[in-house]
Amino acid sequence: MGYILNQLLNGICQGSIYALMAIGYSVIVGVVGMVTFAYGEVMMIGAFSAYYIFIYVGNNLPLAILAAFAGSFIIGIVIYKLCYERFFTAPRHISLLCTIGISMLLKNLAQIVFGPETKPVLNVVSNKTFNINVFGSTLNIRLLQIVIIVLVIVLAAALTLFFNRTKYGIMLRAVSQNKDASYLMGINVKRTALLGNCIGCGFGGIAGILLGIYYFSVSATMGSAYSMKAFAASVLGGLVDIRFSALGGLCIGIIENLGIVFTAATFRDIFAFAFLILVLIFRPQGFVSKKGARV
Amino acid sequence: MADTILKVENLSVNYGYIVALQNVNLEIKKGEIVTLIGSNGAGKTTTLMAISGLVEKRHGSKVTFKGQDITKMAANKIVHMGMCHVPEGRKIFPSLSVYENLRAGALGNKNMTKARFAELIEEQYALFPRLKERSKQAGGSLSGGEQQMLAIARGLMMDPEIVMLDEPSLGLAPIVIEDIFELIVKIRDMGRTILLIEQNASVALSIADRGYVMEIGKITMEGTGKELLTNPEVKKAYLGG
Repeated sequence: MGYILNQLLNGICQGSIYALMAIGYSVIVGVVGMVTFAYGEVMMIGAFSAYYIFIYVGNNLPLAILAAFAGSFIIGIVIYKLCYERFFTAPRHISLLCTIGISMLLKNLAQIVFGPETKPVLNVVSNKTFNINVFGSTLNIRLLQIVIIVLVIVLAAALTLFFNRTKYGIMLRAVSQNKDASYLMGINVKRTALLGNCIGCGFGGIAGILLGIYYFSVSATMGSAYSMKAFAASVLGGLVDIRFSALGGLCIGIIENLGIVFTAATFRDIFAFAFLILVLIFRPQGFVSKKGARV
Repeated sequence: MADTILKVENLSVNYGYIVALQNVNLEIKKGEIVTLIGSNGAGKTTTLMAISGLVEKRHGSKVTFKGQDITKMAANKIVHMGMCHVPEGRKIFPSLSVYENLRAGALGNKNMTKARFAELIEEQYALFPRLKERSKQAGGSLSGGEQQMLAIARGLMMDPEIVMLDEPSLGLAPIVIEDIFELIVKIRDMGRTILLIEQNASVALSIADRGYVMEIGKITMEGTGKELLTNPEVKKAYLGG
């Protein structure tokens, strides 16, 4: 019982990182209107930006998160310029292929620049563990897990406020819903799409370093698997609904970790992708109800 | 006569090899309601899209707005000059609330102040009381007529000098159409210029000061609203005999 409970906690923690990834992913797809396959590498760049803060400045978590956001934000600009800007009216597969190319380029470039080996990320958050008694079994909550969950909630709340309360938020949402109408409102659609892409990438970067801290390591090839998971989670939200994508991420995290209870840790990915396949078979439009869309 | 606010000269547009517009000339004076009528596929919507910079114009076309050449200007910059285009099919933002839709409309005006924004919101709510009742509802949940009103109100939020309406009667019940056209006259009386595109020629011509008739990418007739309403050719082609 205690084991299942602890796995559930691990699932929630990991799920909240996935949720953050999925949030970033659905912001990109929503605002830019095109799917990206370079997201895993964006996360990796974010993770490395933070890693070098740990190396050269010390274990300063807020600064590292800022660096992760900034690093991946900048990569977001590059990706936008190379993969999207010219191809808004082109067939969709062109920008998609471009992102795949960028993904390979970044992954290999990173192995040259940062080195191919896995790098340790240790003691960023102290190893403290709280033991809580729940129904007679012990739940071990690590301080790290609390930090991650709280951080994800704070970031998600900040993004929600940004989207609903600010002028830029309304611009981003308008562009994600109808680009032509946005032009007619005098919105600079291209610059707004760039901003959306960069914010989404920034969130991916933060998710990247959180994964690094959670698994105590970063590497140039860490992105690929997570890119697919971010994609899987966003599929739940129909790729563009932020809340449901976040929920999707959380579900995948929990399903993975509970699945391990009954099998072995090496089967982790099977559960995530089996979940994706099931969703695609039974609810390909995601879990969003389309009540608001009668146009 | 008042000053010309919008002048379109030799406007031509191609879609690939297909000629959509050929040497269209329009002139709209301040404070007028001008209507452009014509059947399906005549190029009315293309004309509007070309004016507001959404489609590419062929070499030799010239569009002047408030004395400034806007032929090659980007769509969003044209909006900043005070030109509002309410698109065909409304194109409101379905999951933004009514209020947020209006707020999005105001983004097009760089000189918007908070006070002016509040004034404009009140102005829209006075013109369209239904929108006030539903200000928190998602735009996509409104009925067709309400969505059309929202689309017009959203356009007016940028405090434009000219309002270009593309088929505001499309898909609406006759009684709602009447409401909308009354509002269009009201909007003109508030000091704005209106370019109205319609298939519903009789209603459009009855409120218009002047009208243009468009056929297969060309302007074939022009005159005052009354002249066109009584013109036998127009009667036969667009008013059902």
